[in-house]
Amino acid sequence: MVRLVAGREIRERIRSKAFKVSTGVSLVFILAIAILPGILSDDGPTTYDVGVFGGGAEQLAGRLPLVAELGDNLAVEVRRLADVAEGQRLVESGDLDAAVGDGQVVVKKELGDRLGFLVQEANRQVVGEAALAGAGVRGDVVGRVLMPQPLDVRALDPESKADSDREALVFFGTILLYGQLLGFGYWVASGVVEEKASRVVEILLAKAPPGQLLAGKVIGIGVVGLVQLVGFVTLGLLTAAASGSVDLPPETLAVAVQVVGWFVLGFAFYACLFAVGGALASRVEELQSTTTPLTFLAMGSFFAAITTGGDPSGPVARVATYLPFSAPMVLPIRVAAGEVSLPQVLVSVAIVLVSIVAVMTLAARVYAGGALHLRGQLKLRNALRASRHDGQPIATG
Amino acid sequence: MLELNGLTKRYGDVVALDGLSMKVPPGRIHGFVGRNGAGKTTAMRITLGLASADAGEVQWKGRPVTIGDRRGFGYMPEERGLYPKMTALDQIVYFARLSGMGGAKARTEATAILDSIGLGERIGEPVERLSLGNQQRCQLAAALVASPELLVLDEPFSGLDPVGVDALAGVLRTQLDRGTAVMYSSHQLDLVERLSDEITIIDKGRVVASGPVAAVRGSRGVDQLRVALESGGTAWAENLSGAKVVGHDGDEVVLELLPGGDDQAVLDAARQAGRVRTFRREAPSLTELFREVVSA
Repeated sequence: MVRLVAGREIRERIRSKAFKVSTGVSLVFILAIAILPGILSDDGPTTYDVGVFGGGAEQLAGRLPLVAELGDNLAVEVRRLADVAEGQRLVESGDLDAAVGDGQVVVKKELGDRLGFLVQEANRQVVGEAALAGAGVRGDVVGRVLMPQPLDVRALDPESKADSDREALVFFGTILLYGQLLGFGYWVASGVVEEKASRVVEILLAKAPPGQLLAGKVIGIGVVGLVQLVGFVTLGLLTAAASGSVDLPPETLAVAVQVVGWFVLGFAFYACLFAVGGALASRVEELQSTTTPLTFLAMGSFFAAITTGGDPSGPVARVATYLPFSAPMVLPIRVAAGEVSLPQVLVSVAIVLVSIVAVMTLAARVYAGGALHLRGQLKLRNALRASRHDGQPIATG
Repeated sequence: MLELNGLTKRYGDVVALDGLSMKVPPGRIHGFVGRNGAGKTTAMRITLGLASADAGEVQWKGRPVTIGDRRGFGYMPEERGLYPKMTALDQIVYFARLSGMGGAKARTEATAILDSIGLGERIGEPVERLSLGNQQRCQLAAALVASPELLVLDEPFSGLDPVGVDALAGVLRTQLDRGTAVMYSSHQLDLVERLSDEITIIDKGRVVASGPVAAVRGSRGVDQLRVALESGGTAWAENLSGAKVVGHDGDEVVLELLPGGDDQAVLDAARQAGRVRTFRREAPSLTELFREVVSA
């Protein structure tokens, strides 16, 4: 019976225009997110066009490339200019980033840190060299004073590309998870209310107990959401890897499996709550008001997840781990960041599982009590009371 | 056989059913009559398990009805309902399967039933694109598809034109011939009178009259005389000693014999007034009986 109901949901959902449109839109977004960084990001060095003029122009021209080598991903293209006027003209037209000479540097708006480092350091060295030479210091000494061996950088906790790639991955995973939970949860609510609005629910209830009808609906819509999520994740990762947007870190598969696993738990939880929202409304128009609290719950959880992304061991992250509505979105992030222990994850999973059982029981009762309430919005309390009077055995039969 | 035994149901202070009992044997059609709010829909919903009785029980084939039994019942609720975006065929297949039929058989049966009620050409169209009449047919197919042993139809004739009424009556006769027990409600009393083997009239949740149509009509023990003169005159009927005028139906005068009154004396009086075209003695019609018992 449950399989039959679930089967109908799957067939009808996949056939629906809403599913096709939302899948299409999501695909475009996912492909854009997966491909664009690869195209837009420029991993090569930043090259500045710098013009030199006046006294010491030659020395500056020789020194600028040497200084550029000290910088991180820094390069310079040097042009010799006739005078400051030519420099101003070329900077104005955008051909040059800066023109240096006669103790001044001409830029369009501001010098900026990197360009500033480049020209100031080159200038300091040229001026210093002249001064030291004038004071009779030997050439090799001048070199050692002005261009000493750069310091060796020894990072204790180096920021690696893998780290940032993993963060990006988890972030998009969370967005995807949030979208699927909210989107497919809302489908459960609208599926419930559509059956009430079209009155078909009365025939259904004559054939099957409300608990089974509800279970079939949640499972059917959940399967569609799950398959779509797996498809999105697979496609997104493959495209991202192929386009070189991110180097997939070794734990990619683990993160993906977790996101999918938390979808199953999160969906079971949210779907039952959304079913309650659907059972309390009798027309699609009333869904807005009966599901608003859930939408806020999901949004709050999403923001908790974003906060967790920035601070995986902060107070928000720690509290959200143990709340059934936020755990599904927060846990994948914390696990990826290595900020939770296995026992903590298990406790969180247990809390979510217990909550699922509780909301399922609630949803089945409200659904049973509200299913034949075909006019007007229903109060939760009245739906529960009605289920006590008219409710059928909720589970099997 | 379906048996409702002493069903009682209250919604708060409102008594919907007050000890309702009735029986529907296989191959018989039972009309269910009463004013709006008399409890017809509640009784049907309890039969289908959509509501539970506070007291009394529903029996099927001599034992309490089970969920399994109910899956096999055909039901047409008063509030018609189908999935608007599903095709007629998919929809009926789904209901057949919910009733416990296998996939292939459900498809064959659904196609056959839709064909037989004249939807054959349009079975691939979403229900929302069908005309109202065809949606009604589809609704009937949903009730009939699982070859039910019991059909429960809540106001099946409402909204049908005379041709539709005849078609539905034909479908019901076919079902009765196969031995299906049929229970239905209607406000069209002439139709109920013509169609039903037995009827139950309920008022405020209680049975006020029940049994074979002829028996219910004769239950008051008072017959009516219907007399029409060729001249169309009716004044002769006033102030007769053995009968009183209770109404007019076209050019017929409807009289009720008073205790000790003689129908032959009435006929003589009529013949005195002119040539008699119609003279008929019969039990009161269901409509008259209904008015009387529910307003009592």
